[in-house]
Amino acid sequence: MSDLLKGNFDTAKPVVDNSEDGQTLEQRFEKEALKKLGGSIAFVAKQEVVWGDEDAEQDD
Amino acid sequence: MAKILFINPVVREEDDPRHVPYGIALLAAIAMRDGHQVQVYDENAWRKGPEILKQVCNADRWDVIALGGITTAYGSIKNIVRIARDECPQALIVLGGGVLTSLPREMMGFLPQVDVGVIGEGFITLPEILQKVDAGEHDWENVDGTISRNSDGGLVISAQRALLEDLDSLPYPAWDLFPLEEVYFPNSQVLFSEEGMLAKRRLDINASYGCSLVCRYCYHLGIAGDMKYAPDANNELQVSFDEPGNYSRSIRYHSPEYIVGLVKHAYEKYNLDFVGFLDENLMTMDQYSKRTWLKEICRLWKENGLQPTCIRDGVEHDEHCRGVHWSGTSHATLCNPETLKIMREAGCSHLIYGYESFSPHVMKTIGKGATPKTNMRSFFWTLESGIRPIPNQIIGFPNEDFQAIYENMDAWKKLGIVVKPFFATAYPGSEWFTTYRNWIVEQYDGDLEKYIQDLGDATRITAVISHNFNAVELLGLRELMMNFDYKRIEEYEQYWRRNHNIPDGAPSTIFQDPVKNKAKKAANIRLAAGNSGSH
Ligand code: B12
Ligand code: SF4
Repeated sequence: MSDLLKGNFDTAKPVVDNSEDGQTLEQRFEKEALKKLGGSIAFVAKQEVVWGDEDAEQDD
Repeated sequence: MAKILFINPVVREEDDPRHVPYGIALLAAIAMRDGHQVQVYDENAWRKGPEILKQVCNADRWDVIALGGITTAYGSIKNIVRIARDECPQALIVLGGGVLTSLPREMMGFLPQVDVGVIGEGFITLPEILQKVDAGEHDWENVDGTISRNSDGGLVISAQRALLEDLDSLPYPAWDLFPLEEVYFPNSQVLFSEEGMLAKRRLDINASYGCSLVCRYCYHLGIAGDMKYAPDANNELQVSFDEPGNYSRSIRYHSPEYIVGLVKHAYEKYNLDFVGFLDENLMTMDQYSKRTWLKEICRLWKENGLQPTCIRDGVEHDEHCRGVHWSGTSHATLCNPETLKIMREAGCSHLIYGYESFSPHVMKTIGKGATPKTNMRSFFWTLESGIRPIPNQIIGFPNEDFQAIYENMDAWKKLGIVVKPFFATAYPGSEWFTTYRNWIVEQYDGDLEKYIQDLGDATRITAVISHNFNAVELLGLRELMMNFDYKRIEEYEQYWRRNHNIPDGAPSTIFQDPVKNKAKKAANIRLAAGNSGSH
């Protein structure tokens, strides 16, 4: 019986989880910060960032 | 015998998983009792994402993949059934629970991967489906309580499933198939009371089904006698719930012996320190049983050595306490001081009260069967008994107005209530969903699925059903109410009155009862919708 699947018989194949806890450190951090959001607790959701914004790249 | 995979979808993603899904745990126990091969993948507990889900689907050759949950689990369910269908084309995908029950036809349309939907209670319907699977039969229309597809792709609703009368015939939930040590026990804490805060090994139990009240925003999952079947003009069966003037209920509860037997079993097996009663309204059962049910549960609790030692010895609760503390739901009008005292003696730490409002004219319209007076009375009775009352509040009711806002703030101040109210939300299956459906869907560009995907905790704003305030106003007013900022609210009231041409002294409302005034309903709704554009 694998950890992730629980039942009354052995499945044909096991379910193998190679990630630490399914979440990267970045995901864990952003989730915890979101719970306390407000005032000085603000953060960048790194997966949402749109890189190469033209306004930001103009150096005048 | 059938090989069945239960999947528990993700719900309330922003919080840690805290509740073993009681319905699925019972259904898994029933399937095992009947000799089937059962596995559970608790996606809500593990939250491992699509790769692991694919592995789960390929871990064996499943005959049945069964899942279900409350309406707000819809987004997760949609992802799961897509993956399940791709990975397991041979499996029968069965969906049940509140999400399917409230809108069976719509859900089968939104989720074409689902083969069979179980409408309402699953205790008899699911085992009958599994029997058919074993026999290689697919005539789902002969299994009561289902919705399925015919060969033309049309939907077929079978006859209504009768509710199980002998609840004590149910096996104990299959808690062992859920990650108790890995996930649920570490998340035992419930921040409703000191004892809840210190809980380290909590499980939940549903001891009864039904509630005698008819709150207009409430939905009872079709398992409380609240569901009705009737043919429409095309002679097609339609499922409906509470409607204005048309309510039905069935009150059912486990015997005190079953309940305490189950708690004792869990105490001995898992070393529990806390039980959360999931029942919609424990006090309905108490009243229905002529005040014997809770008393007997409490007597047996003590007789079986479950009374917490801190209460027995009259000392402050701490981590050395033995026995089982517990919590549940109460009702302002149905509770009484004697029962509350007995409950405290047996270890009850907190009771959730859906007080919702302290405004008389609002309370008259919500179907709660309570008044500000009974709210306050029960509040003090509960405190006096030593139990913490949890005073839930809701704003944004259809006739919520400035007067109601001030009345609520006055009451919070007087009673020391610290609260961030819910917004009145018409979940599918509730009377107000039926009443306001068109307006709600209008707020989502005519797309019902969008509304369902947006639903989460009612602490977030979704479709507004307030006639007087739009979403922006409700959000602002809630913030100011929480800060007891009478001054800014009064200033805004002046602005609001000017906008709506309502003079000082006249009631601050443009509410017209949509039920009493059906003919004017469309105009009424347009008026309210127009509000959002006016500021
Ligand atoms: C535990 C619980 C939760 C848990 C989640 C539980 C879960 N894992 O799904 C939490 C705490 C997260 C929760 C949150 C909310 N909840 Co809640 N919750 C409950 C509660 C107290 C118990 C549910 C339960 O176990 N019932 C008992 C079991 C036996 O019933 P069941 O699970 O429905 O299973 C039966 C059938 O539905 C069916 N079935 C269920 N699953 C499946 C699967 C298959 C395959 C089949 C065949 C059949 C089937 O068969 C089972 C046996 O008959 C109920 C009240 C109640 N007593 O039911 C409210 C209730 C379900 N919640 C409700 C509400 C309104 C909410 C909130 C919106 C409130 C809020 N705070 O705003 C939030 C939403 C949170 C979010 N962001 O998503 C409403 C209805 C919701 C809805 N529209 O579906 C209920 C009915 C309470 C009420 N009367 O108002 N809730
Ligand atoms: S008292 Fe609670 S469970 Fe009963 S109808 Fe009202 S909100 Fe629903």
